[in-house]
Amino acid sequence: MKNIILSMATSILFLAACNNETKKTEATSGADSTSITAVDTTLKSQKESPIQNILSAYLQLKNALAKDNDKDAASSGKALETAFADFDKSALPGDKAKLYDDIAADAKEHAEHIGANVGNIKHQREHFETLSQDVYDLVNAFGAGQKLYVDHCPMYNENKGANWISESKEISNPYLGQSMPTCGTVREELN
Amino acid sequence: MKRIKAVALAFLIIILAIQFLQPARNKNGQAVSKDFSKVFTVPGNVQGILKKSCFDCHSNQTEYPWYTYIQPVGWWMDSHIRKGKEELNFSEFGSYSKRRQMSKLKSIGESIENETMPLPSYTLIHKKARLSNEEKDLILNWVKNTRNSLSLKP
Repeated sequence: MKNIILSMATSILFLAACNNETKKTEATSGADSTSITAVDTTLKSQKESPIQNILSAYLQLKNALAKDNDKDAASSGKALETAFADFDKSALPGDKAKLYDDIAADAKEHAEHIGANVGNIKHQREHFETLSQDVYDLVNAFGAGQKLYVDHCPMYNENKGANWISESKEISNPYLGQSMPTCGTVREELN
Repeated sequence: MKRIKAVALAFLIIILAIQFLQPARNKNGQAVSKDFSKVFTVPGNVQGILKKSCFDCHSNQTEYPWYTYIQPVGWWMDSHIRKGKEELNFSEFGSYSKRRQMSKLKSIGESIENETMPLPSYTLIHKKARLSNEEKDLILNWVKNTRNSLSLKP
């Protein structure tokens, strides 16, 4: 008798364990609608770049990480995911559309992970690192429509270093955040 | 006491009934031209560790321990496999773009280094999937060397 009850209890535990995980992801994907509209309206003033919405969501994400704000980083990550999905590539020539697909397939995944990892800013930053390379390639292919800076932080990830893209010349480090906000140098200017 | 007995009996019947709901097995015997080992040079010892600790959820070749034939353990395992393959599938690694292959390789290293993979909730029961420190170092070194050698290529 005892055994039966015990085995039931364990099996219920199993079920509970996997249910919890799915619930968590659902909960985090619920609150994305507010931030998206905010992204759409910013940075519209200068000459249009086709990747305007993607860029502004990325920069929002970068600024959230620089402030050590995992929640804002997550909502920007979700906005970025939406911006990638909503991108209209119908006007692009074939090779550019292909390049966009290649970059977007990777970048969307990073944005998604950043969006799903409230409470784990270290992991958000890991994905931000690869994402920054994707956005860099995107800017090189499509233009930014605004002045951008490629910054380098030599200390991140046990001195392996990492890059990011910023809209301002002043360093505001998204990898080390408020512990070392001004660590880093401008490596390249994009126009 | 009577009530406890009735409830226990009901539970027992449910447990017995769900044994008939077996999820489809994740096993694909086909030759694998898109396999991870076709994309990178993977030494035998690295391949062995990946197989033991990763492939159950991250490939089309799950090796099922006996207890996964018991429900709801099998369902739990099934959900792990589905989520795992969506994130990374070693059997179909060759179908990812070069860019994504490099991204995935980076993430493999990071998740092993941070000990988020193999999932602690999974290794709790699947003890054989646990990584020793030596095994971790072996994988991490291999990931590092592979990433370095590939990023140097034009």
